[in-house]
Amino acid sequence: MTGPVVAGIGWFTAQGPGRGREAREFSMTSGPIRPVIREDVFPEPNLRFGRLPQYSRVGLAAVAFALRDAGMELWKTKRPAGIVASTRAGCLATDIEYYDTVLPENGGPPSPNLFSSTLPTCFLGEAAILFGLTGPTFIVNDGAGDAMCGVRTALETLSWGETDTMVAGHIDLPPGPAVPGIPTPHAGGLFLVLENARSSTAPGYGSLDLSPDGAVRHDGVAIDCLDELIRACIGRSS
Amino acid sequence: MNEVRITATASVTGLGPDLDTTWKRLLAGETAIRPIRRFDAGRYPARNASWVGELEPGGDRSLLYPLLERLLDGFGPLPRGCRLVTATTKGCIDILERVRKGLPGDPSGIPVSATLEWLASRLGLDDPGVNISAACASSTIAVGRAAAMIGSGDADAVLVVCMDLLSEFVFSGFSSLQALDPAGCRPFDRHRNGLSLGEGGAALLMMSEETARRKGIPGIGSVVGWGAANDATHVTAPARDGCGLVQAVRRAMARASIGPDEIAAINAHGTGTVYNDAMESTAFGAVFGSRRIPLNSIKGAIGHTLGAAGGIEIAVGLRSLAERTLPPTAGFREPMENCPFSVGPVPQPIAGNYLLCTNSGFGGINAALLLKGDPR
Repeated sequence: MTGPVVAGIGWFTAQGPGRGREAREFSMTSGPIRPVIREDVFPEPNLRFGRLPQYSRVGLAAVAFALRDAGMELWKTKRPAGIVASTRAGCLATDIEYYDTVLPENGGPPSPNLFSSTLPTCFLGEAAILFGLTGPTFIVNDGAGDAMCGVRTALETLSWGETDTMVAGHIDLPPGPAVPGIPTPHAGGLFLVLENARSSTAPGYGSLDLSPDGAVRHDGVAIDCLDELIRACIGRSS
Repeated sequence: MNEVRITATASVTGLGPDLDTTWKRLLAGETAIRPIRRFDAGRYPARNASWVGELEPGGDRSLLYPLLERLLDGFGPLPRGCRLVTATTKGCIDILERVRKGLPGDPSGIPVSATLEWLASRLGLDDPGVNISAACASSTIAVGRAAAMIGSGDADAVLVVCMDLLSEFVFSGFSSLQALDPAGCRPFDRHRNGLSLGEGGAALLMMSEETARRKGIPGIGSVVGWGAANDATHVTAPARDGCGLVQAVRRAMARASIGPDEIAAINAHGTGTVYNDAMESTAFGAVFGSRRIPLNSIKGAIGHTLGAAGGIEIAVGLRSLAERTLPPTAGFREPMENCPFSVGPVPQPIAGNYLLCTNSGFGGINAALLLKGDPR
């Protein structure tokens, strides 16, 4: 059975920024991620980007690269595409940064700008605004270590007919020494554009579907983790 | 599509440790919004919230666990193969507070996956579960997804558990956004001045109609429609034209194959902030026209319970349909400007079988759910 097509892939990981059509290899490890700057993502000035914490920048960059890779970055009217990301630590790094502005007693009020980024979904909202995406928007968490929950959830959403396009992926930042002991084996942001019906002319990276036991399959082959999925997609296009 | 039944509900709110108590106190117009004792709120302009009383401090453990124990105490058996979906915005955020203050706390309990693992073990479920985080629409989207799982035949039964704590972390943030009403929130009132925070939880057991019938479970009501949409307008402020909420409601109605005239009442998000309530008024006006549909918000009674809000409101909404009564909107005295619907400080009768529940949150997220009551 043929499922949705992978139309675009984008990421910002310890290796830096990347897109599927420019890549020869891929790895999403637990290493530190350098600060994302606006010039990494957008050629033009972007007033909001500079105010975002690193978690939101990483996520927004990966969504932007995925849409660019799919030829879907530019838009005129809002589109009913959804966005879903899995995460283990969520925006914990932002939470720590924000809560450290709450702690001082008798000090000034904590940062409202940072607080608005302490929901793990907020960068999805930023992406929805920037790219006119009006579908379902949410974060998923599970206990698996394969970083595939976002992709699996998007495939379910597409199969249920909730929308025809989902931007789906994973995001995690190492929470750092302030809160040790939370592993993030798939650090960085990575998103894929999944379409029920391929609308652009660029070739895709194959199709995905769910096996009866819930495993993600790429062109009919079961995939164990997100790294493997991306390598399979890139290998197919080269 | 399989019909989706809700067969059991439970809630814990500031009004009471169970749904019966919450329901009775809601009908009486009571509020649980009161001076905070959970943490020192003295440095903030607003010092009221609704919280669950007498939760035992858990040492280095999150208060979420005694809340969940209270929620699940006495909750009936779950069918074999039951799936687990949870909804929360900040989960065990109190552990982060403890760790950053230098108090005992186990950071490995901060990720939501730890709570999922605990719940699956506590309930004897094989499914490790998945959590939905979608700001204040988390529960509504979780229930919608659970309904889609059952409706599509991907699952026979799903337990949805919704939860969020009152924490200084969140309270300080809404305070810094100047979003809290020092006197307690007044949804849809002309003099509304902000929200009040709350904490609580809800559990909803959902089954396919066929599974419920096979097990001889009568059910409480059905989820007949759901929809979610992003307004793609602003991260913290709702779109003034309510475009995202209108889309979500229309998707829910399309899924249910019913029109606006068939919806008997609305349980709105109704946070009591100037912009949220105005947005909802505009959105419902776009969907329902000038029809004076009965509408309420229970946030004046139990506060805004964040990711748990939709779950609690659905549990209460099912009771509303069963009792044909919409609870009053605590704090409401005088209708807001251009109010096209009927909001009451006293209970309102429901003349019909469909209730619309909606929630909207940061990130432009809007979600709607259509409940159908069982005919008497």
